[in-house]
Amino acid sequence: MTFLAGTNRPRTLVLGGGITVAIAALAILGPALTPYNPTAFAVRLRLSPPSLVHWFGTDEFGRDVLSRVIAGAHYSLAMGLGAMLISLLLGVPLGLVAAFHRGVVEEAIMRSVDLLISIPPILLGLLILAVTPPTLWKTIVAVGLVYIPIMTRLTRSVALGLLQEDFVQAAHARGEGAISILAREILPNAWPPIIVECGLRVTFAILLGSSLSFLGLGPQPPSSEWGLMIAESRQFIDQAPWIGLAPGLCLCALLISVNLFGEGLREALDPRLSGHGDV
Amino acid sequence: MKHSTPDSAATAMSDAPLLSVEGLSVAYRTQRGWLHALDDIALTIGRGQVLGLVGESGSGKSTVVLALLGLLGDTARVSAQRLRFDGNDLLSQAASLRGRRIGTVFQDPSAALNPALSIGLQVAEPMLVHRRLPRADAFARATSLLAELGIPRAAQVMHAYPHQLSGGMKQRVVIATALAAEPDLLLLDEPTTALDVTIEAQILDLLEDLRVRRGIAMLLVSHNLGLVERICDKLVVLYAGRTVETGPTADVLAKPQHPYTRGLLAALPRPDRPHPGRLLPIDGNLPDMTVTDPGCNFRARCSFAIDACATPQALLQVGDDRTVRCHRAGLVATTPMPQPTVGHERQSPSGSPLATAEGLARIFRIGGGLSRLFGSVSRDVVAVDHVSLAIRPGEVLGLVGESGSGKTTLGRLLLRLIHADDGRLTFDGTEIPNAPKLTFRRRAQIVFQNPDTSLNPRQTVETILRRPLRRFGLARGAAVTDEVDRLLELVRLPRDYRARYPHQLSGGEKQRVGIARALASRPDFLVCDEAVSALDVSVQAAILNLLADLRDQLGVAYLFISHDIGVVAHIADRIAVMYRGRIVEEGLVAEVLKPPYHPYTEALLSAVPIPSAHAERRVRLAGDPGAEVSAAGCCFAARCPRKLGPVCDTDTPPRRQATDTHHFTCHIALAELAAAKAVL
Amino acid sequence: MTGYIVRRLLAVVGTIWAMSLLIFAIVHILPGNVAYTILGEYATPGAVAALEAKLGLNDPLWLQYWRWLTAMLHGDLGQSLVMDRPAAPLILEALGRSAILAAISFVLVTTMGIAFGIRAATHQGTLSDRTLTLVQFLFIAVPDFFWAILAILLFASWLHLLPATGYTPLAEAGFLGWLSHLILPVGVLAMGLIAHVSRLTRSSMLETLNSRYILAARAKGLPERLVLRRHALPNALLPTITILAIDVGILIGGVVVVETVFAYPGLGRMLVFAIEHHDLPLLQAGMMVVTTIYALANLAADVCYAALNPRIRFSHAAA
Repeated sequence: MTFLAGTNRPRTLVLGGGITVAIAALAILGPALTPYNPTAFAVRLRLSPPSLVHWFGTDEFGRDVLSRVIAGAHYSLAMGLGAMLISLLLGVPLGLVAAFHRGVVEEAIMRSVDLLISIPPILLGLLILAVTPPTLWKTIVAVGLVYIPIMTRLTRSVALGLLQEDFVQAAHARGEGAISILAREILPNAWPPIIVECGLRVTFAILLGSSLSFLGLGPQPPSSEWGLMIAESRQFIDQAPWIGLAPGLCLCALLISVNLFGEGLREALDPRLSGHGDV
Repeated sequence: MKHSTPDSAATAMSDAPLLSVEGLSVAYRTQRGWLHALDDIALTIGRGQVLGLVGESGSGKSTVVLALLGLLGDTARVSAQRLRFDGNDLLSQAASLRGRRIGTVFQDPSAALNPALSIGLQVAEPMLVHRRLPRADAFARATSLLAELGIPRAAQVMHAYPHQLSGGMKQRVVIATALAAEPDLLLLDEPTTALDVTIEAQILDLLEDLRVRRGIAMLLVSHNLGLVERICDKLVVLYAGRTVETGPTADVLAKPQHPYTRGLLAALPRPDRPHPGRLLPIDGNLPDMTVTDPGCNFRARCSFAIDACATPQALLQVGDDRTVRCHRAGLVATTPMPQPTVGHERQSPSGSPLATAEGLARIFRIGGGLSRLFGSVSRDVVAVDHVSLAIRPGEVLGLVGESGSGKTTLGRLLLRLIHADDGRLTFDGTEIPNAPKLTFRRRAQIVFQNPDTSLNPRQTVETILRRPLRRFGLARGAAVTDEVDRLLELVRLPRDYRARYPHQLSGGEKQRVGIARALASRPDFLVCDEAVSALDVSVQAAILNLLADLRDQLGVAYLFISHDIGVVAHIADRIAVMYRGRIVEEGLVAEVLKPPYHPYTEALLSAVPIPSAHAERRVRLAGDPGAEVSAAGCCFAARCPRKLGPVCDTDTPPRRQATDTHHFTCHIALAELAAAKAVL
Repeated sequence: MTGYIVRRLLAVVGTIWAMSLLIFAIVHILPGNVAYTILGEYATPGAVAALEAKLGLNDPLWLQYWRWLTAMLHGDLGQSLVMDRPAAPLILEALGRSAILAAISFVLVTTMGIAFGIRAATHQGTLSDRTLTLVQFLFIAVPDFFWAILAILLFASWLHLLPATGYTPLAEAGFLGWLSHLILPVGVLAMGLIAHVSRLTRSSMLETLNSRYILAARAKGLPERLVLRRHALPNALLPTITILAIDVGILIGGVVVVETVFAYPGLGRMLVFAIEHHDLPLLQAGMMVVTTIYALANLAADVCYAALNPRIRFSHAAA
């Protein structure tokens, strides 16, 4: 990260990781921490601005915005991690299969992947979610599917590169089977770029997932998913901007910290970035 | 610290050298502090003179070129007492001189030409910018310059792009761009290292010709002593950023006075002196250049070193026009060059063959897959064209050829690492199918070229060595540890290296681990695929010695693949010469190195630059090995200087048996080829 | 070159056909009865049967697909269920409005993205480079719908400079009125992508500047601006073209979000409307139009790439 040039490498990792862990703790401990019931109406208090009693104010039903933001944290994290895991667990094996079985199998996998990539990401999500009533897990699956092609392509190209390396040829010369080559030679060398990509995928999955929720294709009211909260706040943007600002700023904080963490991972794992002073 | 100045500043202007450098030091900023890449370098080049700058990797020779051009970038700190080019201070005026009066040729022509611009523009550009010629004039001149540099159909090439030209042609284009503004000095940074030896010979002839006809001065940077000797008047030898010895080329190479120069010469395998027994490597590694060492930085590796070598040494004048930086120079000069210890005269192994290939063939298809549906063309390239050969137990068969000759593919075919499209392989009396049994895998192993990619970077030396033991069930429990110790000892590595990762090893050490891994299964047959090509001369010698010892000690047979005929002549019993997928000549080393030759072998041998060996007759090949080849006739017909006529293009050449052990395929009669002059 | 374009064109036709299969399959095969989806959970069986008959849902799937595909090839995009009108003119009108948004944004993204990226690469490490990187980071890490909310808050609610939402045709509101409705959506759409393009242009430019042929060009003594313009730029822009093609996809997604926030009556908002009201024929038609546009944009990028890259332009050997 150039704007942090001069800082130590772990700092991005620690800073990003720290905030992410803090938000994750908030999400897990959420129910215990919320000062008010996030879904309890209090009509007399509706649209009250931030105060000592309600730090982030209240919404159009008088619900405490802070409590709703805390209660909604787990959605974004679940979407980010869940979608990343789906793309990881399906995309990586597909990429490995394509790399090991050149020919028809590879063509079939890669052409399907090309096809999925030829739909713009949000539209693919919209399409998958359009027909059935939206829920959290469907959004996670849709976002995960959108990112499978990226994982597959990355894994295949990394594995193909490694398969050309002499140390893999040496394994062939020992008559090693595919599983042994995969476990001993390929995976230990392939995981750093895959891990880095996973970090990126979490960021993009949170972005895409909250965008879909914003469009109404994620968790449904009265849940307090942040994208949904922002969508609902639009009506009251002139009278009570805090209803949208609070979840929006939290979402930004989460995205920035996850992104920082990912950058830190990349710097820590990418040998090209660990400056060697070669002559 | 003021050191020698070979040319005094008081000399008249007309005698003033074109380029004079004194006290040039360069340091790079790294994470571990300042890395002193160059320390107090001095050199001078007169008008029309060619100076050779020699050193191994890490010597700082390329840094000299960049420092002269003022292109070192922000991470480097440059200082010099004197850096003058024809009366101009290069430290402040390099930007206005480079390209205009100093032309540069970099190592790899594929990387040095811009892929997005036409050849014509790249050659004409210096004329447009520096000489402000009108566009039409510049392009006309560029065309004639290309023609002058031996590029056929120059007008057509002007419109081409770099990817459409072969490596040799690209390097001619790069030289043309360097000459375009008619500079007084040409900087050549390893100009032929990326090229095949026959192409290298063409480029060297071109440089010699330029020097004679244009009187242009050159600085030739190279790791290759033979090449430097061919065209340089004077020589500067660099070691780890310091000048260790300078003087007239022939003089320095005949009577080196610095132990390092001596070591380099003794470590060099030469095709004109096959089988000298053991080479003399330079032990140890380059010093840590982030630490400033006032004393001699070679002393840790030097057999002449005494305590006094820890004190600073100046570059001292020794005799006419020679300088050397060594307290012990007097002794070094009078000690006779070490004679290689000739071991027992090696008898070429006889007996029934261990591995026999009959008509092995492999065809690669370029383009294909689903893209064929959309009409993209696919074509077949015959990488190995029905090759037959046999290797006896304990024998070393050298396989020589240029890039694209199919030698690596043949090596992999013999190990059944890639699928053969045709032919049979027999190993120890049994036929080996395309998918061989584990016993064959155990007995036939491989050593690779590039030590950086041949070891899994995430495994320790111990893990790397244990795996074949487990895989072939050769050792269990505590025996595994003993076996790993034995292997490390075999390749002369300390036992505590077992815990190291590859990045903690030097290139030579990595190569030793690669050899140990191949030997772990106690094989009878080893394919060494360019096993020493990526190493510096001093390290290469040590690995060659090790391989020779292991052959004698363990009785392993090698297929020793190399583009370097000197290396092959040193270690092999027999040599097979490969060209475009076919073996054109095969015989005992002594037989292949003297007439009768296959015309290709003749050209290959005469192209090799060897120090202090003056061939009377040089055979030069036109074109490059990538040229189209007709399926019917001789694979070498397109480039053959002895081509008879159409018969070479249409008929398969007959096999000529010179002796029981020596044969080649050529239309020319044996007697006629036997009458050819020796080129070595 | 011609052969290359013909091959790419065939590939695009193949892709669009495969997309039609995929879109049809997702709409018709995913769990959920289409008629129930349209009529809602409390529909009477009679109503469901009637709708199924009307839509031809009882026919075999391949027949339904064939009917849909051939109709599309004849320019008939089907009938919007909710609005009960042919989909084609509805989509065309909305597409025109979206195209204005997308085209202005794309031009901004291309020009400013490349300009900022090159500036950051050639002034590496300076304050402006670092500021640019920080700004880029912010724009990439913050979702565009939140930028939209912030923009509305700042420029409409607080400063009262621009209208918050809506659209007025050029003929009705005059140029300024028309433009005032475009500024915020275009700004939100373009900002993130400008950041994306400039960040990647910066890194590809840096990689090019580190290459051997740039060193060779400098050793030729060329003035720095010539080194940058003639030697570095054509090579550094090749990866940028690929990035721009990807960004068209992100831009299309952004259009959907931005049109929703700013209540801008374009194709993106129409797609969301179709989903909200279960207007499946309209959704299918809209999706086909968008993916076709995206495929054509990718084709255009491939052609540009080939035109700038002599390795594709002249794939045969000379001399």
